[in-house]
Formats: sequence, structure tokens, C-alpha cells
Amino acid sequence: MSNDTVKLTIDGQATEVPAGTSIWDAARELGIDIPVLCHSTRMRPVGVCRMCVVDTGARNLQASCVRPCEDGMEVDTRSEKVEKHRRMLLEMLLADYPEDSARDAATGDDELLNMARDYGITEVRLRDGASGRPQGVDLSSPVIAVDHQACILCDRCVRGCNELQHNDVITRSGKGYGTRIAFDLNTPMGESTCVSCGECMAVCPTGALTNRALADLKLEPLGSD
Amino acid sequence: MRKIPGSTAETRKAVGFKGVDSLCPYCGVGCALTYRVDGEQTQILDVTGRDGAANSGRLCVKGRYGYDYAMHAQRLTKPLIRREESYPKTALSADVKGERGGKRKAGGIVDYDDVMPHFREATWEEALELVGRKLAGIRDTHGGDALAGFGSAKGSNEEAYLFQKLVRTGFRTNNVDHCTRLCHASSVAALLEGVGSGAVTNVVRDIENADTALLAGCNPTDNHPVAATFIKEAAEKGTKLVIVNTRRPRLADHAAIYLQIHPGTDVALFNGIMHVLIKEDLLDHDFIEQRTEGFDEIRETVEEYTPEVVANLCGVDKDALIEAARLLGADHRSMFFWGMGISQHTHGTDNSRCIIAMAMITGNVGKPGTGLHPLRGQNNVQGASDAGLIPMVYPDYQPVDDPEIQKKFEAYWNTELSPNPGLTVTEIMSGALDGSIKGMYVQGENPFVSDPDTNKVRKGLMALDFLVVQDIFMTETAEFADVILPGSSFMEKLGTYTNTDRRVQIGRPALALPGDARQDWELICEIGKRMGADMAYHSVSEVFDEFVACTTEYQNLSHEVLGRDGKWYPCHDPANSEGERIVFSESFPRPNGKARLVAARQSPPHEKTDAEYPLVLNTGRMLEHWHTGSMTRRSTALHTISPEAFVEINPNDAVSLHVTDGQMVEVRSRRGTIQLKAQLMDRVAEGSVFIPMHFREACANVLTDPAVDPQGKIPSFKYSAVSIVPLSDEARRAGSGS
Repeated sequence: MSNDTVKLTIDGQATEVPAGTSIWDAARELGIDIPVLCHSTRMRPVGVCRMCVVDTGARNLQASCVRPCEDGMEVDTRSEKVEKHRRMLLEMLLADYPEDSARDAATGDDELLNMARDYGITEVRLRDGASGRPQGVDLSSPVIAVDHQACILCDRCVRGCNELQHNDVITRSGKGYGTRIAFDLNTPMGESTCVSCGECMAVCPTGALTNRALADLKLEPLGSD
Repeated sequence: MRKIPGSTAETRKAVGFKGVDSLCPYCGVGCALTYRVDGEQTQILDVTGRDGAANSGRLCVKGRYGYDYAMHAQRLTKPLIRREESYPKTALSADVKGERGGKRKAGGIVDYDDVMPHFREATWEEALELVGRKLAGIRDTHGGDALAGFGSAKGSNEEAYLFQKLVRTGFRTNNVDHCTRLCHASSVAALLEGVGSGAVTNVVRDIENADTALLAGCNPTDNHPVAATFIKEAAEKGTKLVIVNTRRPRLADHAAIYLQIHPGTDVALFNGIMHVLIKEDLLDHDFIEQRTEGFDEIRETVEEYTPEVVANLCGVDKDALIEAARLLGADHRSMFFWGMGISQHTHGTDNSRCIIAMAMITGNVGKPGTGLHPLRGQNNVQGASDAGLIPMVYPDYQPVDDPEIQKKFEAYWNTELSPNPGLTVTEIMSGALDGSIKGMYVQGENPFVSDPDTNKVRKGLMALDFLVVQDIFMTETAEFADVILPGSSFMEKLGTYTNTDRRVQIGRPALALPGDARQDWELICEIGKRMGADMAYHSVSEVFDEFVACTTEYQNLSHEVLGRDGKWYPCHDPANSEGERIVFSESFPRPNGKARLVAARQSPPHEKTDAEYPLVLNTGRMLEHWHTGSMTRRSTALHTISPEAFVEINPNDAVSLHVTDGQMVEVRSRRGTIQLKAQLMDRVAEGSVFIPMHFREACANVLTDPAVDPQGKIPSFKYSAVSIVPLSDEARRAGSGS
């Protein structure tokens, strides 16, 4: 075996990958899709959403987007423990999710809601943490609607703005439950140094950053022609 | 317990959609994208980035949100003929007449209520018959050289090829040009002279392999926004940016060295850098010896440009100049990018010659992380030039005054051709004014707003015996037309476009043509047929094949080969290769295979500032708008973000001018005056002001100096002498008539 590769099994399938490959990437090569909200193939993995956790037999579940493969690892991406964790996480994220997701309504690609549907979650058992302290809506940009309530702090917009487009506008501000994405020093998006490239809107997995041009529409794919 | 949020789609209008893989219509970066459109293709719903070679899914505000102009209610949908009672010809709307008192509408686009009553709708047959008869009549009475055509760098390669073929074989003249004349004509002149090819030697994204990148006279975050993201990415990973610009570009935040030179001192700066390169022996002697000629002339010329002299002349720090030379020297891989700040001067060709020389003497051409890259402006200015929309050359830069080449094209097109190089954009307008040009066909260009010295252009357009304008909107130029032909927008076309990287990509129709509007390529052929030219084609790809067959660079390419993602030209093995990212690794396409170095000396600007006109006017573009504004000012998003004209004034100058931020001012030059809002910005240097070119109601080109570079014939848009006076509220009310 070369020093530059490692051998492991993922869901029982044996594989050999270059050292340093993430479990998520190795699984993808095998055709195993590990659910994820914060990670995107266009971006540096940050491991913040914890939806991609897998069971490596270690004490804790591991975030597969940032955890490198190791020699002899036996990875289970869909164990009972893993699935229970994901369900709980989804419920927590949905506990204060807004009634209406503009992304779900317009283009049906709200990744959080679609994942909840995949997991058969129809009800949330947790208290709505948002009641009495709404995160707010920002319609100051003429092109992008911001619904902070639908933000799950996955950092895709932060990386899209700073690491793909290098515009350095979006960051996080606040602490604890008050944490929000922020434009410049927490100014409304339309008054910030935002150049409206729309990368944040394009990469956002939820109803937090959406296209205002689609506010009254529901797009449904036509059959291929 | 809470229920999972459902969607409130009941209140929304359901629309079935499909995706059309195409391109962005705006700049030379050539971003690949997908338009999502309704089933009938009457409406673009939204835009998503595609994984294109130039953009990897990234887009900017224009590409992502600026598509709706194509669906604007003001699209021309019927052929129009000027009414008898609207002769003799004049401009029709107050702004275009140059009157101060007329009513002004927000948004600054042609007032259709003023203009449309002067035209009547016609059938296609009537309009095309009239165009063919009038143009052929002028040709047969006064000779082909009394006709001229402006093609468009927004059109496809196929349209550009057909347009120049129509002018050459139907009009029987080489008077065909387009906005490259206003853009990179001087860069192309220097590149053809020095390197033997007008195209870039390396692609933008190879900056990731460069140690250093010079970015001179360009503002990529505004004008090539997606390319700028890759430049910033490289800077973050260690590429040192050396930025030269009179107006501080946002990219300067990412620079190792920013040199804010005095306007028009580019040649001195570059000679100063070469002086240091030679003095400190930062040269690639093998490259100079084997790959270039003319180095001795460079060495002698730059001898007197010592860092002390140059720093003083250019107004930059001497040590920064020396450090810039060290970063660009032969022990580094360096790329050289430049834009309109280099080309749009009366010494634009000299500016480019110096940049070429810097790259050559440091051996920085033909290898990864090196190269010459004039950032091309329009989405297809590279392709339109390649296709021969240039008065001196046939497709692929083959000179019209070479008898062998002329014979070849006479055989290829089966007709006689004029042996005389044609006139350029500015010369054609002068010809209109002096009566030597009597008829014109303007397809998709708007010279009234884009050309220097608007008052001169107005007189020229009024003097024409016959003008046919083909466009998608009633433009300022079309106000002077006898016949207006409603053409196709980018969103409705099939065709190939060549980006700044030499990548040839296919744009596909996302929308159906509105009303009776027709495809631009078909209209060019229809006019050709009515003038006796052989222009019968069945498809766009057939036109592309004919174009390819008379070039060397585009060999092996076809619509089929280009497919969804396109290829770089040259492409020797399309089945197995994406084409060449980097060219000239071994030799240059010149007779002896060597690059020719041409030395240049600092020359004074054509127009000097004085007590009456003490400020230097710089004109340019901004992120949200495109050129004459006919597209972007009809885009809701872009217009909302950036609704009005402004002049940027340095705050220190503003104090002495008694101008406050947001105040209306009058800007005067020796050619005219305009009124617009002042924006106090320290990114313009003291003594300089900047006005974007997009706003017809405060048209920067009313002010600009029409003097041109002797080789490139490009106007000096970056240097005109102006003065500024603040307007009192009273004066403003009188001025605007409101």
C-alpha cells in the first residue's frame, strides 16, 4: 500500500483514497450521499451544521465533511445512532423556522425542508425558540430578500461572499441565540457595501436569502423537451 | 406540537419552467449560465451560474439580475420608416437635440412619446426594399466608399462575419468598423505590431500560477467582476498585485503596490520600471536574445527615465516604483493585464507597446503564470474583431491592402473587393460631417452616446442622406434614422461568442422573438440580397463554418465541436483538447518568429488643462451599467441600484470649487456642458474628475476630446480638460426645466 493513500470501508464498501480525503468526499466517490446543509462542493468545508455526521466507532459522531479518512476506518453513514442524531438536529433547526420559506415556495429547493421530508418529520416536538424574539426580515436590497428567521448559520453565504467572490461583506454578528449573519457592521443589506452579485442567494440552502424577482411565483419544472 | 412549515404557494402564480444553457450578454469574461424560462419562452424567470471555464458558477449583478431588458415593453417589434413630415432630419427628443429646456423623464432613456410619432410602421418587405434601394443607389451614384457600416461587438461571430461580408461585397467598401475602435484598438495595433496577434496570450484564471500581476488602467471589480474574483483569490494565495491607475480601483485593497499616477503619464512609468529592470539586471537575457528584436532601442530610450525623474513626473513614490520593478522582474512569473486606462489615450498604442516590452524583456510570455492580457470589454469584441469588423483587415486580421490576400477573398466570396483600407469609427463620423459618407448601416451600436464629442456626432448623423439602424430599442442614434429594423436581443439568438480568454462559446436562444422582430443575421443577409451580394444561408452554423474556413485561428471548430462548454482557440485536436490556454510558447506569429520591441517616449496629452479648464476628466464604466445604457437602464434591478449620473470629485478639490456632496454641478469642456450630481470621492486624485459614460442625460461624451491615437485611431476618452461650477438651486431649476 502506498503511503499516500488510506484504505477504509464505508457502509461495508471497501475503498482506497488519497490521504487527507474527507469521509464525505470518499463516500461520494462510492455513490453514497451523506446529507449536508453547510457543505458545498464549491467551498471549503467548515463542519458547522453537523448534519453530515457519521459513525466511525469513535466516542463521538464525526462530521464527515471535515473528518479525513484513516487507514482501517469502518464508517457507517446511516446507523441508528447517526439517523437519530440527524432527526434531532432537524427538529432543532425547524423549531424556530418560519411558517413560510420563500425558497420552498418559489423553487422548491429549500434543503432543510426537503431533508425534513426525507426523514419523514412532520411535527416538531420542541418549543418555538423564536417566540417573542423574532430575528427579522431585511428587504433593503432590491434583488435579495433576507429572512434572518430562516437562517441556520451554515456559513455558506459567508464563504460565498468572502471566499468565492471575495467581496468581504457578510459575516456573523451577535452571540448565543442572537447570532445572525450581518452585512458589514450589521447594516441593512441594501445600505452595505454589498455589490449584489447574488452568490449568497445562490448558495443559501434555506429561505434566508432568496431572489426577490421570484417573490410571487412558484416555479415547476416542465418535462424535458 | 408545531407542524412543519408548509409552503404558501396558493398565493403564488405557478409557472412551468425549463432551463436554457447559454451565456451572459454583458462583458468579455464570458460567464456560462442557465436561463430558466417559461414554456412559451416569453419570460426569463431567473438565472443560475453554470460551471463555465471562465466563471465556475460565479456571476455578477449584471449577469444574475440584468436580463430583463430583453422583455422590456419598449422593445421594437415592427419595422419603422421615418414620416415624410419629419424631414429634414433632426434629433427628435430634447436630450438628443441637446436642448436644456425639454421635459426630462426619470430613467434617462429615449422618450418614446417624443420620438415614435415621427415614424410609421411598415411591412418587412417595404422596409427592406427601401434599405436595399437607397444603399445601392448611393453605392451606384457615389461609389461604395460613400457607404459605411458599424457592426456590433455585442452580436455573435456569425453576425460580425456576415456584417463585414455585406459591407465588403454588397456596399463594395472596407468602411466597416465597430466599438473595438473605442475600446482596445490601440492595444490591438501594438499587439499586431509587436507579437503578430491581437488576442491574449494567456487566460485570466492562470493568474493563480503567477508570482506577480500588473493591472494597469483597468478596474476589474466593476468591469470584469467575475474575473476580479479570481484575481482577488490569487492575491489571497500570494500573487502580488501591482496596480497602476489614476482612479483608485477597489482591487487596490488587495494590492502589494498601488501606483496612483498622474493622468497620461503611463509611458513614463513603464519606461521607469524598465529602467530599473535593466539597471538591476532583472532581465531574461535568453528570452531577449532568442525570442525578441529591438531591445537595444528599448535600452537606449529608457536610459533617461530614472526612478527619480519618473517618480516626480508620475507623482508616485520612488521606492514603490523600484519595488514594482523588482516584483515584475525576470525571477518572477508575471502576468500583464490592462484596460481602457491604457488604450483610450492619444498615446494608447505607446502605452501598450511599453507593457508588451516589459513582459518580453522579463521573459514573461508563453509560460504558465505569465502573459499579456488586454481585458476585453464587450462579450464578443474579441470575436467581432477576429471576424473582420475592422476596416483594415478581413477575417483573422488578414490585411485588405495585401494583393494576395485580396485575391484570396475575391475568390472566396466570388466578387471584386476594394483594395483600399476603410475608415474607422471616428473617421466615418467625420466623413458624414464633410459629406464624403452619405449612407450608413448601424447594427446594434449607439454612436450618439458612445462616440467622443456628441455635438459633432449629432451633426454627422443629421447630415447623412440615408441611415438604417437595426436595434432592439429606439436608441439615441436611431432618432436620426430613415429606417429602423427591429432586431434580436442576445436572449433570442443562437450564435458563438469569443471571450477575453479566446474561449469560443455558444449562446442559445432563451426567449422567442417579440412581435415581428427578426434575427439580426437574417436581416443582414436580406439587405445583402437586395444589394446583389451572395448571402444565402440556411443556418447559423453554416455561417460559422464559412467564417472558420477563411481563418487559421478558428480551424477545427464548429457548433457541434463547441457543444455546451466551448473551446479555446487555437484548438488543434477538439476531440481530446479544450484548446490552448497559453500561446506563443515557442515562437510568435511574425515573419521571423520573434517579438518586436518598440520603444516609446512620454508625450504630452493632446488637450492640456489651463486656467479655464483646470481639471482632467476621466470617463469609464460602473458595475451596474453597460455602455450607452440602452440595456441596463431598462433593467429594473440595475436601474434601481444605480439610477442617475454623477461626477466624482476629490473632496479637497470640492472645497476650492465650493461644491458639496450631492450638489448639482455643471461640467464644461471646450466642446460642451452637462449638468449632474457631484459625488465627493477620494478615489479620484486631486485635479481629476470621473464621469460614467452610461447616462445620456448627462452624457460624458459631450465633453470628451475627439482626438485619436495615430495608430489605433482610438479616441482619448481618458483625458479631456474640463471645469466645474456648482449650480445654485435656481440655476438647476432653470436648467432642468422642472
